[in-house]
Amino acid sequence: MAEPGDLRLHRYPQSKSVDAVRWLPSASAFGRLVAVAVHDPDADPAAASALEIHSLSPTQATSPLCLRSSWPSPSRIAALRASHLPHNPLAAAAAASTLGGSLHLLLVDLVNGAVDTELSISGDRSFHAGPVTGLDMQIGGGECVTAGEDGRVNVVGAGEGRMEHRRVHDSNGLASYTAARWGSPAEFATGGVGFGVRWWDQRKPEGLVAQFKGSWGRGSVTGMVHSIDIHPSRKHICIVGGSSGTVFAWDLRWQQQPILLSGVGLNGTDQPVSESEVWEVQYDSYTQSSGITSAPSTKILPVMVCSEDGILAVLEQGEDPVELLAEPCAINAFDIDPQNPSDVVCALEWESMAILSRGRDVVAIQ
Amino acid sequence: MPGRPSDSGDSLVPFSPEAVGPVTHRVHHGLRSPLFRVYVSWSRGNNLQVACIRPPPPDSETLDGTGAEGPEEEIGGKVVEVKLGNGEGEVSEAERRRIAYGSVAPFALLQSQKNLFAASSRMPNSSIRTEWWHHVLEYSNSISNLLGERKPLPSAVIEDPKMILQPGEEPKSLKAAWQLMEIFYVDKQVSSWLPECLVDWLADYDSLLTRTESTIHTKISSLQKKLDTLKVFEDDPDYWEGLSAALAVGWLDTVVKLLRLHGSYQLDQLDSREIENGLVEAVAVLVSTMPRMRPDLPPGRLGQCCKTKQEYIKAWEKWRGHVSKLESSAFWVQCSHPETRDGLRNLLQIMLGNIKNLTVATCHWMELFISHFLYIRPFTVGLEGMQNLAQKCMQLKPSSNYNGLIRLLTGIFGENPEVVLAECSKSFGSWMVVHAMELLTASSDNFGILLHEERYNLGGISIEELHRLGYAQVLSSHPLTWQIAPTYLASCPKQGLGLLEILLYRQPVQNYQLVLKTLEICRLYELENISSSIMKIAGMCHWKHGRKGSGVYWFQQAGDKVSLDRIAQQLFESIGKSVSDDSFKQWEGLIELLGSDVGTAGGLEFLHKYRDFKRSLHLALEGRAVDAARQSMQSLIQLMRNPSTPQRFWLPLLHDSVTLLNWKPQPLLNVAETNLLLNKLQELSMAKLRPDYCDTNLPPQALSSVRLALAANLGRAILEEC
Repeated sequence: MAEPGDLRLHRYPQSKSVDAVRWLPSASAFGRLVAVAVHDPDADPAAASALEIHSLSPTQATSPLCLRSSWPSPSRIAALRASHLPHNPLAAAAAASTLGGSLHLLLVDLVNGAVDTELSISGDRSFHAGPVTGLDMQIGGGECVTAGEDGRVNVVGAGEGRMEHRRVHDSNGLASYTAARWGSPAEFATGGVGFGVRWWDQRKPEGLVAQFKGSWGRGSVTGMVHSIDIHPSRKHICIVGGSSGTVFAWDLRWQQQPILLSGVGLNGTDQPVSESEVWEVQYDSYTQSSGITSAPSTKILPVMVCSEDGILAVLEQGEDPVELLAEPCAINAFDIDPQNPSDVVCALEWESMAILSRGRDVVAIQ
Repeated sequence: MPGRPSDSGDSLVPFSPEAVGPVTHRVHHGLRSPLFRVYVSWSRGNNLQVACIRPPPPDSETLDGTGAEGPEEEIGGKVVEVKLGNGEGEVSEAERRRIAYGSVAPFALLQSQKNLFAASSRMPNSSIRTEWWHHVLEYSNSISNLLGERKPLPSAVIEDPKMILQPGEEPKSLKAAWQLMEIFYVDKQVSSWLPECLVDWLADYDSLLTRTESTIHTKISSLQKKLDTLKVFEDDPDYWEGLSAALAVGWLDTVVKLLRLHGSYQLDQLDSREIENGLVEAVAVLVSTMPRMRPDLPPGRLGQCCKTKQEYIKAWEKWRGHVSKLESSAFWVQCSHPETRDGLRNLLQIMLGNIKNLTVATCHWMELFISHFLYIRPFTVGLEGMQNLAQKCMQLKPSSNYNGLIRLLTGIFGENPEVVLAECSKSFGSWMVVHAMELLTASSDNFGILLHEERYNLGGISIEELHRLGYAQVLSSHPLTWQIAPTYLASCPKQGLGLLEILLYRQPVQNYQLVLKTLEICRLYELENISSSIMKIAGMCHWKHGRKGSGVYWFQQAGDKVSLDRIAQQLFESIGKSVSDDSFKQWEGLIELLGSDVGTAGGLEFLHKYRDFKRSLHLALEGRAVDAARQSMQSLIQLMRNPSTPQRFWLPLLHDSVTLLNWKPQPLLNVAETNLLLNKLQELSMAKLRPDYCDTNLPPQALSSVRLALAANLGRAILEEC
């Protein structure tokens, strides 16, 4: 395993469960904001779940997190996405879907960290019935795609003071979706049980364009998809993370031959980076030293993963994984700061979050 | 029965009649009212376990299988620990959980090292012991760091001469108790300078000795407040009292700082009070050069370190000589300031170990006890000697009530691990007992045997296991800490695994992420049967809530043939019925979900073939394509030939294909095939007479219409083949 290089880790105990974390774009040079979905089972059920906005001073690691605002959520937050707004540099959009089947779109003031406007779809049985764990928002805060365990896929747009949803598909419970990711303004991918990945195109009448059923050979393990990422420059490749430490790339051009990046059964000798659930995958733009443009389009770009057994690692095709963190507890989620990709915020199982800053040395390893 | 205060003389627990008004404890159960039942039972120590149960949900809604579950499943109940008594309420619940999380890794590490040592038991026992306490010390240090570090505030560049008490965070009794156990049980290096360790301990935690009575710490802090307003220090009796108190417990730097505030140091008074100033300075020098039996001193602390006993005795005698020489010096007569003279001579008496002066100078018996180490019996060793001394001090400084820390200390002196554990449990909770037990067992083999011995009255488990099980139960009762309970249950050889299984079974299955976390624990502890049961439960939950895909997935993961068969049975129900396109899609989808691999599971093979048949039938009826028609007839023949096709589906199958049997362009079956079908039909009519025949919902003329169609087909086929 390669050297992790110069890493600085700072932990922030929260005294409640941290379910999801996202960086918000920074509006000024003086501070950065993090959106955190928290849940406190000891609290009154009406106030148990919230989305908190914390600010972090830019003057390095040891600075404390400062709670700026807290927006109470009617139900525990299952997925969280954030994006900048192209027409308003002083605000950002955050979308949160809940276990109760609701979706909330929040406008966060980046100057003072307050939640300004809130749009919700809540208590609408025609939207989702049950947990919505698959959620993604278009870059720039456009449409949201939601995919729920009830087998419904919806596309939600924010209109004048309200949100409107359009059902793309309803499997009537025959499929359950646990992950969603936009590939382009019209296309998106969903993931569900049995490592099933589906590719949808809104322009097609049926919606469903391609699907992968998660069988790449007999006897291989199967499981759930927890996270999908699609790189803007490689829209035909989905990076999928799921059960049993499995991370694979599904290329739409070679749909029947997924590329296993990590997992049991990759080959006999290699030790997988983790054997437990891979909760989140994201392309790691920090490790992309060789340049996206020069790499052939078939090459899988470096991917960061976090897992139930406490591993945060960077995987690269054909190379040994680089382990950044090995925590004694699960890392349930992480987010790489899009503006400052050396910094990663993690949600740790033991009621805390951590911010990892990578120094220059990591690049040198490449 | 509580309520009527009986005569306190013969009661087991002393009952104080002064207790006024009931004490209210708030139970934060976080459940939505109304509560259905509340059960109260004793937990460890003075903790009560309160189980709050909500009424069972009305089964009318959400269980019909079609509707999805409501917004988040309600928790049915909760077990909450309520701490009784005025106890140390200084640790919040969140802090308690933080400590619980942080102690998992050190505890697990120590257990694995222990197992390693046990495995290599061929090693000579002595070397294990000597090496072993290093591991325990490492463990103790990591736990101690977790309990809070006393971070000194950033020191000012220019030190305030009036700052005699270093401000810092409030010390915590949990940490104080832990440090105490570490000093006595773990750190073998310090055994020769144990008294000095206790001096340091007291310096850190003096304020925790009592909350109601005064201590030297309270004295010094009130003096500190007074210093800002005071002009002439040496006229104030509090100044001298503070000095003697600080000296008695060995806070030498405080003493020297205070002495330097003496008025005779003032430049304008130096001339007139030369002798007085000389005496003050002489005492200050003597105080700062006091010999101390310890390897080193933290920076800023005063005294002269002596590493060996000989060295110490030599230095001690020399120093004592200086003190008595100053005591008997003639300068005292010339000292014109009576308070200074008396105060300084009092300090000298303390340094000479005058018990009377020491008793006056100290407040709490523990302080008097410590002053004995410093000035009277620096070589006190052995717990017995300490206990005698402590008893003597307690007689001199009686106190009405002792808090947990003091009771713990007396328990340690008493060399009774059970008392120590009971005090830990009573005052500091189950976390403390479980983690402190490691320190106790490290100290001596006897303690280890005592704690590991299996006891009949505990149901065959050891004291160690009992406490671990209790702690694991507390952890399990919280939805955020239950995940660390397995670490402790795994260290319980007798009942741990059983309770772990129960714990895993009890986890909710609604949230798939939580199910996966539970399964991960099953994987770690190799509990395959538990994990398959959990998957079955999860599958059933999803199935009932209409998430058929997830349900089937979990059943398949669990290898649950029974449930899959039952689902297949449900699919059979729709065979032969005319179904709408939508429900056929649903039906088809389910067969798809069940997959082809599960071929052995009951009639799935049949279902797949039936699906193919039905599909081609659809095509044939819609498009009238010969290929599709032929295909569906072939499927029919295969189905009818296959012994796994249940008899009760024969007629529906044949009835479905009547249209194809009458296929206009050409007969689709040859003579042999038609005969086969006719035979089957005959068999069916015979079976009709038997009592176990189950009737289909087909119209009564179905049989005859099929027979007619077959006969017609046979005729055409014979003509064709001629």
